[in-house]
Parts: sequence; C-alpha cells; structure tokens
Amino acid sequence: MACKGREEDSLRKAMSDHYPLDSNCYQILDEIGRGMSAVVYKAVCIPMESSVVAIKAIDLEKSKMDFENVRREAKIMTLLCHPNILRAHCSFTVKSSLWVVMPFMSGGSLQSIIASSYPDGLPEPCIAAVLREILSALSYLHDQGHLHRDIKAGNILLDSNGVVKLADFGVSASVYESSLSCGWAGSSSSMSRMLLTDVTGTPYWMAPEVIHSHTGYGIKADIWSFGITALELAHGRPPLSHLPPSKSMMMKITKKFRFSDHYDKTKASMSKRFSKSFKDMVGLCLDHDPSKRPTAEKLLKHSFFKNCKGPDFLVKNVLHGVPAVEQRFKGAEIHRLGSLSRSSEDDEDDEADGQIVKHRRISGWNFNEEGFELDPVFPADDAAAKQDVIEEEGDGENESGDARGVEGGGGSGAAVTVLQTMLALRDSLDDQRQRVGQIIAFLRGEQQPVGATREEQLMQEIANLRMEVENQRKKRCDLEMEIEFMKMQFSNE
Amino acid sequence: MKSLFKSKPRTPVDLVRQTRDLLIFADLGAPDTKESKRDEKMVELSKLMRELKQVLYGDSESEPVAEACAQLTQEFFREDTLRILITCLPKLNLETRKDATQVVANLQRQQVQSKLIACDYLEKNIDLMDILIAGYENTELALHYGAMLRECIRHQIVAKYVLESEHMKKFFDFIQLPNFDIASDAAATFKELLTRHKSTVAEFLSKNYDWFFAEYNSKLLESTNYITRRQAIKLLGDILLDRSNSAVMTRYVSSRDNLRILMNLLRETSKSIQIEAFHVFKLFAANQNKPPDIVSILITNRSKLLRLFADFKPDKEDEQFEADKAQVVKEIAALEPKERP
Repeated sequence: MACKGREEDSLRKAMSDHYPLDSNCYQILDEIGRGMSAVVYKAVCIPMESSVVAIKAIDLEKSKMDFENVRREAKIMTLLCHPNILRAHCSFTVKSSLWVVMPFMSGGSLQSIIASSYPDGLPEPCIAAVLREILSALSYLHDQGHLHRDIKAGNILLDSNGVVKLADFGVSASVYESSLSCGWAGSSSSMSRMLLTDVTGTPYWMAPEVIHSHTGYGIKADIWSFGITALELAHGRPPLSHLPPSKSMMMKITKKFRFSDHYDKTKASMSKRFSKSFKDMVGLCLDHDPSKRPTAEKLLKHSFFKNCKGPDFLVKNVLHGVPAVEQRFKGAEIHRLGSLSRSSEDDEDDEADGQIVKHRRISGWNFNEEGFELDPVFPADDAAAKQDVIEEEGDGENESGDARGVEGGGGSGAAVTVLQTMLALRDSLDDQRQRVGQIIAFLRGEQQPVGATREEQLMQEIANLRMEVENQRKKRCDLEMEIEFMKMQFSNE
Repeated sequence: MKSLFKSKPRTPVDLVRQTRDLLIFADLGAPDTKESKRDEKMVELSKLMRELKQVLYGDSESEPVAEACAQLTQEFFREDTLRILITCLPKLNLETRKDATQVVANLQRQQVQSKLIACDYLEKNIDLMDILIAGYENTELALHYGAMLRECIRHQIVAKYVLESEHMKKFFDFIQLPNFDIASDAAATFKELLTRHKSTVAEFLSKNYDWFFAEYNSKLLESTNYITRRQAIKLLGDILLDRSNSAVMTRYVSSRDNLRILMNLLRETSKSIQIEAFHVFKLFAANQNKPPDIVSILITNRSKLLRLFADFKPDKEDEQFEADKAQVVKEIAALEPKERP
C-alpha cells in the first residue's frame, strides 16, 4: 500500500484540486437519485470542459444528522484513496445544502441495474467480478480502521468502463439508490415501512450483532452485510426481504434460526445455478459468530475469486442493454409515486390492508422452496424450544389455525409447522401492533412513521393519558370546590 | 552484520530512532542521492510509520502493550522527532500522512510514569502550534495538521497558548473557507478551544471580550453563510450557558447590539437556527437586571415576539424548551418601561 502512495497522491491532486467550489460552475442536468434528505444530480462542471459529475445535495436543515457526523464523514471521503472507493472531488455549501461533487458513475447502482434488467439476479461470474472489487475496497477500508456500515447493492456503483466502486459513507441516505419501493419490497409495502427502511439504514443487510447489541460491533459486521449483498446479487433481492424490515431484524436475533451451514443441507433441493465455492464463500460471511467470519483480506484468497473476470467483462455482460441511470430513476419515481397513492388508499380501507398482510405472510413462507437463502433451519437439539412454541400457541388459535390451513401441504414435519405457526402469529401481532400505532398516530393527528418508534409512541401515549387523567382530576376538584362554594352561598341566603 | 540484526523484531526504541533518521534524510533531501535510493527510503519510512501505529494502537489480533507504548513515547519525545515529523509531513504520501497523524494523536494521551510527557515537550516547543495552525491555509495538509492540532489542545497549556495568540483571529476566516472539509475541521478546533478548558476559556473571554465578540457577531452570526450562522449560534449558546462563563454571559446579554442580532436570528427561515437563537435570546429575557435600553427594545417588539413564540416549537417535543418558552413569554409580557436614570 505504501508503495502505491506517491502515485495515489498525484492522482488525488489531479482529481480533486481543480474542481471549483462554486455552485455557479456546475450545470445540473438530471435528477438520478433521491433519499430522505439528499438528492443526487447528474451535472456538468462548466470550467472543466463540461466534464460530467454527480452532485449529492444534502439538505442540512432536513438532515437529522448532527454536524459532527457530517464533518467526520466528509473527512473520511476526502482522505480515502482507493480505486474501488468513490471519492468526493470536493464539497462545499450552497445555502442550507452541502454539495458533494463526485465522479459520475454512469452505470448507476447494482441495485438499480438488477431492478431494471436482472430481476432474478446476476450470473455468477459477474457476481464474482463485482464482489472481488468490493472486497478489495473493504480490505483497504478496514485496514484504515473504518467501517462502511452499509454494504449493499444500492451502494455499489459501476461506471461506463465497468469499474466497480463502493459508495456512500453514511453522509446520509443512499446515493444512487434510485428506487425506494420497486424491487424487493413489493407493491404491498406501505409508506411507513418504506420510511423505516430508509431511516434506520437497511435492516435486511444488518448483521445480527448490529441489531442485537448496543455495545458496538466491529469490521466483521461489514463482512456479514457483504454476504447478504452476495445473496442480493444472486437472487435480485436480499434475503428475508419478503418480510417487513422490523421482522427481518427480529428473525436474525432469534437464536432458533441458524443461517450458516444451511447451504450444504439444502443442496439437493437447490437449483444447480450456483457453484459450491460461491455457497461456501457466502456461508463463511454469514456465520453468526463475528469472530468466525473471515476478514476481507482472507476472503480475497477464497477459491470463488480465482480467475475472476475484469471490468470489460462487466461492460459486456452487465451494462450492455441496461437503460441509462437517469431513465431508470425516472421509471422508479413513477413506480414509487404510484405505490404511494395506492398505499394511502390502503390506509383508509382496513380490510384491504389486512388482506395484503395475510397474503404476504403466506407467500413469504413459500420462499422455503428455494435454497441459497436465509431460511430457518431447525437443529435437532431444539426440542426444548419446540415446547415453548407449543405452549405459546394456545393464545392465538384462530390466527394460527388459519395460517396452518394454508401451509398444511407444504410442511415438512411437525416442528416446521409449529414454528411457522408461531411466526405467523408473531407476524399478525406485529401487524396489529403496527395498526394500533397507526391509530394512535392518527388520533394524535400527527404523521409519524410507524415502526421503530412504536415503543416510544406507546410510552408517549401513556404519558398523554396520564396527563389527561391528571387534568380531569383537577377539573373535578375545581368543580367540587365550586359546588361547595355554591352550597355555601345557598345556605347563606 | 546488518542482515543478522534484520531478522530480529525491532524494539519500539529502534523504530523511533530509525524513523527519525529517515525523516532527517527526507527533510534534507541529500541532493546526490539517486531517485531509486530515495524512493526506497521513503517506502521504508512508510513501513516504519505503520509499525509505530501498530505498537500504539494494536491490530486486529493484539491489544497494545503498555510497556512498549511507554518506551516508544519516551524515545519519541526524548529528541525532536515530533518537530521533524511535522515539518516533513508534506513530503510523505497520503497513507503515511494519515498514519503519522494517528501516531501523533495517540502520543498526546500516552503516560510515562503517570506523566503526559507530550505536554512537557509541547510546552517547550510551543511554536509547533504555529505550523499546525498555518496548515489550514494549505489544502493538502489542513486535515492532517488540523487533526494533530485538536489533539494537542487537549493539553490546557497548549490551548491557552493558542487562545492568546494572534492565530485566534484567523479562525474566524478559516471557519468560512469555501472547502467544506477544511472549514468544518477548523470549526471543530475552534469549538474545542472555546469549550474544553473551562477556566482558561473564561479567562480568555473576559480579557478579550471586546474584539472577540465584535468579530463573533459581525463575521459569524451575521455571516451570509448558512452553515457559519448555524454553527456559530449553537456554539454561542454553549459558551454563554456554561456556568464558568457567567460573567461573560451577563455582559453579553446587557448589550442592545447583541440583542438586535439575536432577534434577527430568531426571524430566520431556518428552524434549526431559530431554535438555537432562542436558547441565547432567553438569557436576555431572563436577565433580572435588564438595562433600560434592552427593556425598551423588548417592549417595542413585545407583540411581535409573543406572536412568534405562540407557535414556536422544535420538531421533537421538548419539555425543557416549553418550560423555557413559557418563562420567556411571562417575562416579556410582564415588562414595564423603566425610567431612564
């Protein structure tokens, strides 16, 4: 690394120092991405022979991030220098926005490429070519002591030459992630869920220890997300994405499920699309114990990455025939707006909403058929857990009964059925809780995203009710006083 | 002979000595040395810097060893290694600069026999701060020197020097540099200087009150730059609300010019700025010894202020804010014109 230094330095100089720090020097052409508090534009830098750039405009007034974080992230982006990491040319403020000027990656994100042209995932050699580049970036990043924290296809960008770059160092919502709703989340996902995915980062890719612990997590969390990203590229969506994000998080921290060594067990049922070395590589990344996951450097030596293809291969086999990034964004926007209006209709019609939820629950479990997925696996020694499950089942017979009815045929043993029943039950509880949350929010006349803050909302609600009770008590007290007073007056007269 | 020693792992003391030798070489540049030889030495220097960092921070497999850290620190400050490292930084490549910055940062916290020897060294070599601060004028070095500087001002005596130096005035410009990375780094250092060491800050502010707040108002609070205003009003609140700065606060809230600036910030379209401005404005209203001209300004603007506060609240519910607001509203509503003495 050290020997590359000087070369990198000159590269850096050539790249960064000449981009003007003045918004008038840039002409915005198109919107190519949008997040909670940031918009990404395609633009040209006029004084630099109208070279094309991407500008991420972060609204600092809307961004919930505190300033210290914005500063730290901007600094990281300036000081990192690696061929597979998207560096900022420069950043400067324009009124209440921060503009981050970056190289324009004409291929856009792999997530949007997949969504538009490869709904069932990419071919294996392409996956290998992409992942190797990402590992190289991760290895550099981890060596520098940085965590990316948000590895996913939406943050992996391609330029027109097939060069792969890891982007978005958490400055805010995902760069280039053109579609919030289309793709895996499906049309049934409501607005509140979309917000949740966006706000909390990206639950589907999160490592169990990230969700689980408050004590922090290490570079191995990135390795988990890397494994999930591999599955995302292979299947066209991340595992468990048929579930609402909050559920996907819950599943991961439940110890009853084991995701690793799963790939070998289901080999028979699994289509022969993916090689053994690919499955092995992903299996290593998805070890529940972070310390057992290999480092990025070690993974680079895995047999899966032997004889890996280069950028030209990606140009021919991935980018060829994919619509331009700005067109993809427009398509996704239309889709998003469409599903937005649909979901607002759903809110008014409780029953229709319920139907959708039920449907999702069932179709979710059908994914069991496919291998190479994050499915629950039942270890033989889980008899004790089974007991618990059966006991809990009693409370919700109606719900579970109907879920089992549908599942019945496909079940592969009592344990499976019981567990599925229990999950169905939890699912419905989840939905009910969410609906209660929505009603509370509605009653309070506030538009808060329902989900992560559910608990807070309930607490808030309790506090409000308590205050209400207190007020009523006071009022009653006052009235009683008044009555006493009037009585006195009467008796005086 | 040399190859015999090469296989042995280098001790922390060796690492520092060899680093120093190579830094001196890099500094002098020895004109008759061949390019290839020179490159070789720079590669070696990069490796050494990486090793120093590993001793101090440990790596993925091992924690740092206290004894080794102490030896390294002692050797580092025994001679002028820090000075050579700082002056040679422009000659190092990006990765080595980053490593060097982390090494310098770590050394500030290393104790040798429960003494921060870095502090003693800096006290005697305080002019190094001049070099680090000047780094903000150099795009290539600003972030590295800035990070080192912020670590150095953890020592009270160093912070005191910077506060009382002529450099302090330059920060008002550094904060507004067009390059966001550098401007925000300078802002972070500025904030650290004005908040970390309470007694030093209080002393500095009372001694330098006039020029400091004149600059603060005109250059920062009335800046045309949104970010500057937003950061400045937040920091002003932090400074004035700190108990150790109560004398300065009392003085600040007795000035009608200051009140005028704060009232303008309350009218901003930016919610964040408004909220932060309120936290300073409330001090004017809560002051029990308001000068007559402050009272008359508040009375003149009473209805406007009350209207503003009527539907003024942060996005997130905040009990303390509501309580403060109620108090301010009460104070303003109850104001009566004072007779001028």
